Amino acid sequence: MARRAPSASAPSRPHRAPNHQSRLHWRETFGFIGPALLALVVVALVPVLWAVGASLYDWHFHRPAARAFIALGNYVRLAGDQRFLNAVWVTLIYTTVSVSATMVLGTLLALLTKAPFPGKGVVRALLTVPMIMTPVVSTLVWKTFFFEADQGLINWLLGFVGIAGPAWVASSPYAFMTVLVVNIWFMTPFVYLVMDAALEGLPGEVVDAAKIDGAGYWQRVRFVILPMLRATIVFTVIFRITIDARMFEIIHVMTGGGPARDTEVLTLWVYNAALRSFHLGYGNAGGVVLMLLVGAACLAIMLVGLRDLYRRSVST
Amino acid sequence: MSGRTRRRLAEAARLLAIALAVFLAVLPLLWVLLASFKLPADVAQLPPRLLFSPTLQNYRQVLDAGFASFFRNSVIVTLGAVALSVGLGVPAAYGFSRLKVPAARALLLFVLSMRFVPYIVFAVPLFVMLVRLRLVGTHGALIVVYILINLPLVVWLMKSFFDDVPTDIDDAAAVDGANRFQSFALVVLPSAAAGVACVTILSFIFTWNEYLLALVLSGRAAQTLPVVLTRFLGGMEDPVRWGLLSASSVVVLAPVVVVTLLVHRHVRAGFGGGAN
Repeated sequence: MARRAPSASAPSRPHRAPNHQSRLHWRETFGFIGPALLALVVVALVPVLWAVGASLYDWHFHRPAARAFIALGNYVRLAGDQRFLNAVWVTLIYTTVSVSATMVLGTLLALLTKAPFPGKGVVRALLTVPMIMTPVVSTLVWKTFFFEADQGLINWLLGFVGIAGPAWVASSPYAFMTVLVVNIWFMTPFVYLVMDAALEGLPGEVVDAAKIDGAGYWQRVRFVILPMLRATIVFTVIFRITIDARMFEIIHVMTGGGPARDTEVLTLWVYNAALRSFHLGYGNAGGVVLMLLVGAACLAIMLVGLRDLYRRSVST
Repeated sequence: MSGRTRRRLAEAARLLAIALAVFLAVLPLLWVLLASFKLPADVAQLPPRLLFSPTLQNYRQVLDAGFASFFRNSVIVTLGAVALSVGLGVPAAYGFSRLKVPAARALLLFVLSMRFVPYIVFAVPLFVMLVRLRLVGTHGALIVVYILINLPLVVWLMKSFFDDVPTDIDDAAAVDGANRFQSFALVVLPSAAAGVACVTILSFIFTWNEYLLALVLSGRAAQTLPVVLTRFLGGMEDPVRWGLLSASSVVVLAPVVVVTLLVHRHVRAGFGGGAN
């Protein structure tokens, strides 16, 4: 380990001939970031571009010879495909409900655990359990033990108040609720962790000042705490949208998209179209639409959320 | 009601709400853990039997079903993917934090944007490419593909950890004659060790739990545990098989749950740093 020199008196780095130094600098920089960037281009950027390209072809995996360039033909077909439009709609509702619910619940939970209490460390650790559990396993547990029609926990509990619970996973509209419940349960801890850390970073004086000024608890939350967390909230919402809009495992395991395509989100639609029916071009076109929808939603939220933040910081 | 009583009631309500949240958070884990030790006669009983004679029969069946080889697949793929992503991502994060990178903002945005692309968009092209290369069902293919899940996370989180290390120590190392690589490996990296622990654990969790890419790309030979679990348990609607379902679930969960609860501090650090 190198000895530490007092920084104030530390001279700048040894002087070298400028040409040599810039070449060395370039090699250094490439040595550090080059491999990662190359790897990401190969495994991520190339597939994305490939998907965009493939979406312009009429292309079946098992009939490669019949591949034909049809420009935007797949997209035109998508616009009139009821099953696809249903998937867009399901994705929209699914993502909106799940993101909103997790944002509210996670933030509430963070506010609840803000003041100290005995066992806070353990509670924090336990609250993250849903997020780190393998989603396939969590979904199987919910499906088998909790939502099961005849021997599941939920219908057994409902029985005490005289309600004969439905066959949750197999019937409409309950199946959609089950995947939402599991998704919300799975992702609330994520929001909780982020908001909890953000709350901890707030300047205590500001909140205390509002308290002295006579603001009640909810007033402080609404007018002092949440506005200060606005940037965090905007970025968390964006993260949440990207995660839920691509959700696959919970739905694939719980319902497989059924009943009657009630729960067939876009990811599942692409999976079925491109990897079950092997319509590579058509399926990829749906994937590109999903990617554009997610991008547009994130951009819109960033613009709305942060423009507001900017105006606020200018006016104060 | 006096102010003091009201405050006490509010505090009691708060603690009750927290307790309820914790209960809901851990209920599925507790349930499946208990069920994995139950005999078929006990496993579907409601109210759930908390006192029962535990059995290891379910775990024995899981072993007999060849779960060990799938567990091995998961371990190989996860360790390989974590090593590769951390090995590539940590130096890159150092570069973005300490060196003058041309177009650094654009490059960082590119890295981050790859994390926002829905995985299914990657999955279809990668499937076609790997089929052509005859690499579907190899551990290596999955290890490389998982770069796209982990690398953006590693680069972004590690950059914020490196940014927190004061540049004074770089200067001190330079004075002592350390070259750039020595300065990185011997001085700055040790100061950001908590960050390395954090990104390693998060990559580990995400890779171990990943389902979609594994389902599409792992073929028969490299199936990881989440994929096997869903294929292996056809007919699990039958309560007789619920014990087996539980035991295999616990086998899948054990590594992530144990690791996370042991080093929870680092997991938490990741989310605090990641969104701020």
